[in-house]
Amino acid sequence: MEAPPVTVMPVTGGTINMMEYLLQGSVLDQALESLLHRLRGLCDNMEPETFTDHELVYLLKGQQGNPFLLRARRSLSHPTSPWHLRYLGQPEVGDKSRHALVRNCVDVAASHTLPEFLNEMGFRMDHEFVTTGHIFRKGAMKVVVSKLSRILVPGNTENTERLSLSYLVELSVLAPAGQDTVSEDMRSFAEQLKPLVHLEKIDPSKQRH
Amino acid sequence: MSGGPAVRVSIESSCEKQVQEVALDGTETYVPPLSMSQNLAKLAQRIDFSQGSDSEEEGAEGEPRDREWGKQEGEEEEGTVKFQPSLWPWDSVRNNLRSALTEMCVLYDVLSVVKEKKYMALDPVSQDPTAGKTPQVFQLISKKKSLATAAQLLLKGAEKLNKSVTENQENRRQRDFNSELLRLRSQWKLRKVGDKILGDLSYRSAGSLFPHHGTFEVIKNTDIDLDKKIPEDYCPLDVQIPSDLEGSAYIKVSIQKQSPDIGDLGTVNLFRRPLKNKAGTQQWHLKLEAAQNVLLCKEIFAQLSREAVQIKSQIPHIVVKNQIISQPFPGLQLSISLCHSTGEKKNQRTSPEKPSPDNHLYVLEHNLHQMMREFHKQQLSSVVMPHPASAPFGHKRLRLAGPLAYDKAEISSLQQSEGLLEKIIKQAKHIFLRSRTARTIDSLASRIEDPQIQAHWSNINDVYESSVKVLITSQGYEQICKSIQLQLNIGVEQIRVVHRDGRVITLSHQEQELQDFLLSQMSQHQVHAVQQLAKVMGWHVLSFSNHVGLGPVESIGNASAVTVASPNGEYSISVRNGPESGCKVLVQFPRSQNKELPKSDVIQDTKWSHLRGPYKEVNWSRMEGRNFVYKMELLMAALTPCP
Repeated sequence: MEAPPVTVMPVTGGTINMMEYLLQGSVLDQALESLLHRLRGLCDNMEPETFTDHELVYLLKGQQGNPFLLRARRSLSHPTSPWHLRYLGQPEVGDKSRHALVRNCVDVAASHTLPEFLNEMGFRMDHEFVTTGHIFRKGAMKVVVSKLSRILVPGNTENTERLSLSYLVELSVLAPAGQDTVSEDMRSFAEQLKPLVHLEKIDPSKQRH
Repeated sequence: MSGGPAVRVSIESSCEKQVQEVALDGTETYVPPLSMSQNLAKLAQRIDFSQGSDSEEEGAEGEPRDREWGKQEGEEEEGTVKFQPSLWPWDSVRNNLRSALTEMCVLYDVLSVVKEKKYMALDPVSQDPTAGKTPQVFQLISKKKSLATAAQLLLKGAEKLNKSVTENQENRRQRDFNSELLRLRSQWKLRKVGDKILGDLSYRSAGSLFPHHGTFEVIKNTDIDLDKKIPEDYCPLDVQIPSDLEGSAYIKVSIQKQSPDIGDLGTVNLFRRPLKNKAGTQQWHLKLEAAQNVLLCKEIFAQLSREAVQIKSQIPHIVVKNQIISQPFPGLQLSISLCHSTGEKKNQRTSPEKPSPDNHLYVLEHNLHQMMREFHKQQLSSVVMPHPASAPFGHKRLRLAGPLAYDKAEISSLQQSEGLLEKIIKQAKHIFLRSRTARTIDSLASRIEDPQIQAHWSNINDVYESSVKVLITSQGYEQICKSIQLQLNIGVEQIRVVHRDGRVITLSHQEQELQDFLLSQMSQHQVHAVQQLAKVMGWHVLSFSNHVGLGPVESIGNASAVTVASPNGEYSISVRNGPESGCKVLVQFPRSQNKELPKSDVIQDTKWSHLRGPYKEVNWSRMEGRNFVYKMELLMAALTPCP
């Protein structure tokens, strides 16, 4: 069966033209406690929250061009909350002096039948993983400290194996395009986390090679 | 010296050669005999010079002793020359020259010794009293000088001590400042910006969205004049608050009415007193708390004014300067104002205000503060972390609405949030309605003595609802006449009346409605009471009607009527009671007792005498008895034949 032709075009325009500003870094497991401590001090005064999410990455291969990639995520700790479907565009080349990685981003809340729907559309699951960790908030900034685990048996989120001895730290902001003050704020926040963690602008497309 | 005695010298030669040494083998080595000059030298060595010098010293007194050894040389020479005295005619000249030479030699030696400075140094010795004034002046100067040095030393020491004391104090103050800062830090948010310490007194961390930055600055107050007395309330730490937050502020809520139909709504008269300095609290703390209160009041007022402008209502809310005016009920004005007074002005302003009636609605003012805090809390708790973690921040309902296919009603039900102003107006309406109800009941109770009205107010109320139980009774007959028990639920706009039998009547906020209703209930009560009394007295109820369709029309409600017959059936009493027309009591007599009735030919038989005769009205106001039921009891008793 042949996949239906799709336009491999980023979704732009309208009210959903949001950009994700992203900085990434990682800490070793031993340094986690001190990082969390620091984040609790720096971030908004909220109850620290943990999460356990299951992410499935779906691919839709067209005849030509890059495959179209969607990320579907659900919360294992809050089973009733809706699924989250996310499209992430290619990082913007643009301004080299910008401190954060900027990419197009479309967020959609979805019902629990999302995997079936995607399958019907012709998407195929590429890989899946479980991520557990802590989430913090500082104004519009979101800090996620998470550990990624591989799923050993497809579909079984109980049986996992952690990928590494470190935690992934992501600092992200969702903002309309062209708001470069956001990246300034992110940089100053990242400065405050040094030397516990060095948050940097990491281009995932270059990482692969 | 020249005339001094000559030294006697005897010369003799040794007889034999002197043995110099005896060798081990016994051979003697002889010293060779001395030559003439050798002999002389040897003899000269044997001269006792000290003797000679002693005699000489008498002539040359005052000469320093240290030239003695120099003289020795000269003496030796003298000894050799004196060998042949007076041989020479130039003897005296020679002697003089010799002595001059000696002197010169000595002088030379002395000078050379002095010059060397290796062995001795010359110091001026001024023990001579003849030295005169110069040394004394010098002494004075030197004394003065040494005194000055000593004084300087002392001064230096004193200065050092002084400095250390000051430093100590400074240190202590510094330490005080630090400890104060620590205390401040434990209660307020502080951060360091440059060389300043800034604090945050806003409610932002508690969920406030008020844009005022609410920053205060911590000032070190350590450089005070040491000479002056330190004031008792001195604190090394001071805070500087923004000028617009100075002074004190409060929100004043009051209800003005065009018609004086309700009394004072304020329950307690709380004058705003200047804050008392409680023991153990720092000045800065009071200052900051006052500023924070001002900030909160400003926030409340800003929120209310924003809502007042946004909310569409039939009678628009008016926002004028620091006052919001709203009309909850016709003829009633709710005004919410922000009173902000700064420092000294306040004392002058409050004093003339005191005598004027204070119509604050303290409950509402308190509630406003409480609602603002609830709003803050809601703000905080509405921001929930997204799950899954990759989802964007935002309200949960927005994320739920799509996947769960919410319709408009569901979304709006999630969204509905009543504004502060709406809430406070509702509360004000309720308070107003409640107090007016109470006033209506009270005025009726005091105006009408028969029947009596009792109102039992519940102590615990909701902000929007309270209830009162109204009992209508007759004095002395409480046990038998308790037909009317009303439960009044006072809401925001209307009053719901729940009857004892379960009927529910809804009254509007109009005062007249409640009054009319109560009046009609009271008139019904009287008829009910007659009915109850008849049962007790053994009379028979012939008819009873709450709403009589006959007779004059009442302006309020309907008249009610009851007819009771005496136990033996001879008499009957009819009572008609209307809320407006009052009561009318008629008694029907047996036909037999009525002499005025013309004898009819048709009803001749005695059995017809039991037919009732005509009615006669009782002059009720002239009846004995303190109230209606008592009068009725007396009437019934009078009409009941004795057994």
